Amino acid sequence: MADVSNFGVKPISCHAFNHDRSQLALSLNDNDVQIYKKSGKKWDLIHTLSEHTLKVTGIDWAPKTNRIVTCGADRNAYVWQLTDGVWVQELVILRINRAATCVKWSPEEDKFAVGSSSRMISICYFESDNNWWVSKHIKKPIRSTIVTLDWHPNNILLAAGCCDYKAYVFSAYIKEINAKPGATVWGKKMNFGNIMQEVVMPCTGWVHGVSFSPSGNRLAMVSHGSIVSVVTGGAELVGLRTEHLPFNDCIWITENSFVAAGHDCNPMLFTVDGGCTKVDFSCKLDQPPKAGGGGRAVSAMNMFKMMDKKGAVETGGKEIDTKHKNAITQLYAYGPNKFSSAGKDGNVIVWDAKSLESSIAGLRIA
Amino acid sequence: MILLETENKIITDTLTYKFETAIGGGKQDSIEVTIADFDGVVYHLSNPNGDKTKLRVSIGLKFYKDLSEYGVEEKLKKIYEQYYQSPVEDGYNVTLLYDLTSIPKDFKPIVEKACMLKRNCFASVFETYFDAQASGQAGKRAVIHFRDDETMYVEAKKDRVTVIFSTVFRDESDVTFGKVFMQEFKEGRRRNQTAPQVLYTHREPPLELQGLDAAVGDNIGYITFVLFPRHILPAARDNTINLIHMFRNYLHYHIKCSKAYMHQRMRAKTSDFLKVLNRAKPEDKSKERKTISGKTYSSR
Amino acid sequence: MSTTLRPYLNAVRATLNAAMCLENFNSQVVERHVKPEVEVKTSKELLLTPVVVARNEKEKVLIESSINSMRISIAVKQADEIEQILCQKFMRFMMMRAENFIVLRRKPYPGYDISFLITNIHTEQMLKHKLVDFVIHFMEEIDKEISEMKLSVNARARICAEEFLKRF
Repeated sequence: MADVSNFGVKPISCHAFNHDRSQLALSLNDNDVQIYKKSGKKWDLIHTLSEHTLKVTGIDWAPKTNRIVTCGADRNAYVWQLTDGVWVQELVILRINRAATCVKWSPEEDKFAVGSSSRMISICYFESDNNWWVSKHIKKPIRSTIVTLDWHPNNILLAAGCCDYKAYVFSAYIKEINAKPGATVWGKKMNFGNIMQEVVMPCTGWVHGVSFSPSGNRLAMVSHGSIVSVVTGGAELVGLRTEHLPFNDCIWITENSFVAAGHDCNPMLFTVDGGCTKVDFSCKLDQPPKAGGGGRAVSAMNMFKMMDKKGAVETGGKEIDTKHKNAITQLYAYGPNKFSSAGKDGNVIVWDAKSLESSIAGLRIA
Repeated sequence: MILLETENKIITDTLTYKFETAIGGGKQDSIEVTIADFDGVVYHLSNPNGDKTKLRVSIGLKFYKDLSEYGVEEKLKKIYEQYYQSPVEDGYNVTLLYDLTSIPKDFKPIVEKACMLKRNCFASVFETYFDAQASGQAGKRAVIHFRDDETMYVEAKKDRVTVIFSTVFRDESDVTFGKVFMQEFKEGRRRNQTAPQVLYTHREPPLELQGLDAAVGDNIGYITFVLFPRHILPAARDNTINLIHMFRNYLHYHIKCSKAYMHQRMRAKTSDFLKVLNRAKPEDKSKERKTISGKTYSSR
Repeated sequence: MSTTLRPYLNAVRATLNAAMCLENFNSQVVERHVKPEVEVKTSKELLLTPVVVARNEKEKVLIESSINSMRISIAVKQADEIEQILCQKFMRFMMMRAENFIVLRRKPYPGYDISFLITNIHTEQMLKHKLVDFVIHFMEEIDKEISEMKLSVNARARICAEEFLKRF
């Protein structure tokens, strides 16, 4: 249902799983990337990738080619490859002069996109002639930091969420390595950097998360104004203003339902009707357990320690009753009907939407 | 301790000890002590010319000059009789000399008088004016600069004696504290009918002091005590002097105490706030805990 | 608790909850730096509209938020001169210990008595709802503490005056 793994008290800034979900790469809000291997119920640290000189801001793990790409506030990105049991990095020249903020492999893993604070997106691909990663920039009309990216399943289109209150769908067609793409609902003309669609968020807010639906025809967006919205290629935006705190990320479960999560510490399910004319709130996926657990016994020493440090025996008042105790920072597609969430509380939780369906009355995921 | 003591405790203790030793026939150690008291008063206890059998007590007051107009010397001579020394020790204003070889058995009254030396200096002014009022001579006014920037005015009128203190509040907040205190003094008379009337003015001197170029300023306060004949009756007189001459110190002492108390409260509250803030820090539950013998707890 | 205090604090709590949704954000302006955007104000699009929650003219809270930091400035009730001084002293006392308080700003925002600066680093190290609890607790206690201190000054003054005048 929901599988909780804790990695300490430090926040997890980003995480990614390998192809069979047996390994997990994450960064605990510092300069290192840690790779854990699952053994039974526990995660064992097997590698630490230390190359970034400032905070790591993005990690993505390509399932087929088993390569990890990381980017950081030091303006660099590295592609890591496992050779003889050691992860070896290759520097990617991003040609940006501010921090990189997020990174995503394209579905075919022949290129990746890096968003940055220098108000541009770098699309990086491997130039085999020079044995070198090169990057092309998408600059216009981005006016602020790019905070989130998602690839269209066709390997060409790229969605980006920006702090200028807009989401964009760009073409990231690179003629050197990609075959000429066919038309999609987002349009036909696909020169590199072409804007296929620009979406202005209602109720100005930074776009924290963007996600293409499995078919690629719909794009879900969440913004700081606590608004979830969906747009079908070429159509008008459909939004829903929620009463919840802002969302940080969103991810599709099926073609008609997606999950958004953020500062409410609780992933929430939203549904879209067939014609994509309406977004509805379905339910919170983290339902508190019904029966309250017995009070934890407090040892005498602990009690006095607490009294001294915090002025109260129990850590006080109400705990929040969600599994994540602090904001969720990122959602990751874990598998069919499954997704994982990482939070500032150091937890990575794998959620199984199908089994949630049976436990939450009235929940239908279609 | 709410009221301040009128006497000087160190003098009391030292003299008592010295006299007891003298009577008991013990060995006298040499003494050389300088003591500071309120209002910039300095006491000096010493053996003149290194003679251990003699004990000299001198007092230095900055405003002795002001006092001398009011026959302070005569009054002190009357009080201290044979112990009063003239000429006085260099750099001091009054000197008392005790011969330790001829201390009477019952030395208590001597000690009691000696430790009130400062009070007795002040008393000369008050007594002069109390007498003046009693005998119907009004209109005279004494100005005593008892501290560098603080002055005391004593005036005898037909039916009363007014004592006015000017006081300087070094700290801005003291002004406010002072006001709160003085408000209570003003109202105190309602509860104590026998008390003198107390008036307080801030910044400007009261009308009585017009033409005396009394200081004006944001941090200056004037406190007026109106003493009625019943306060200056010979029987009540000593008590009145005891209280009045310590008033300025009493006020400032309690302002300081209040501030110290506030500080203490703030410290406590601040650490309380810190504790509440600490509650926000999550604890690392995975941290290894060890017993004293080095065994490790593990969660099951 | 008086009838107006409860809704006032509730409004502050709700606003804080919404405003304290912070995330890591690297400066767009200065290379390799992270700056609290609410303080530097170099990128307009990263700032949110400031909100003032006021109980009355004197008691109010200014909440300014941005993508990675927020500032809470509190004006504490000061009914008279003595409360003013106590408040001023107390705030200064606390601000001198700002390094212990981590979220406390060393200088209050003009027009307010005390300011807190909360950045994404704080919300990462600490639980957000507890941070909100702290600010609310602070606001509740500070009023109480100041009026109690004032009472104690008055009580001391009265006892002093009485004791002194009684002797005559």
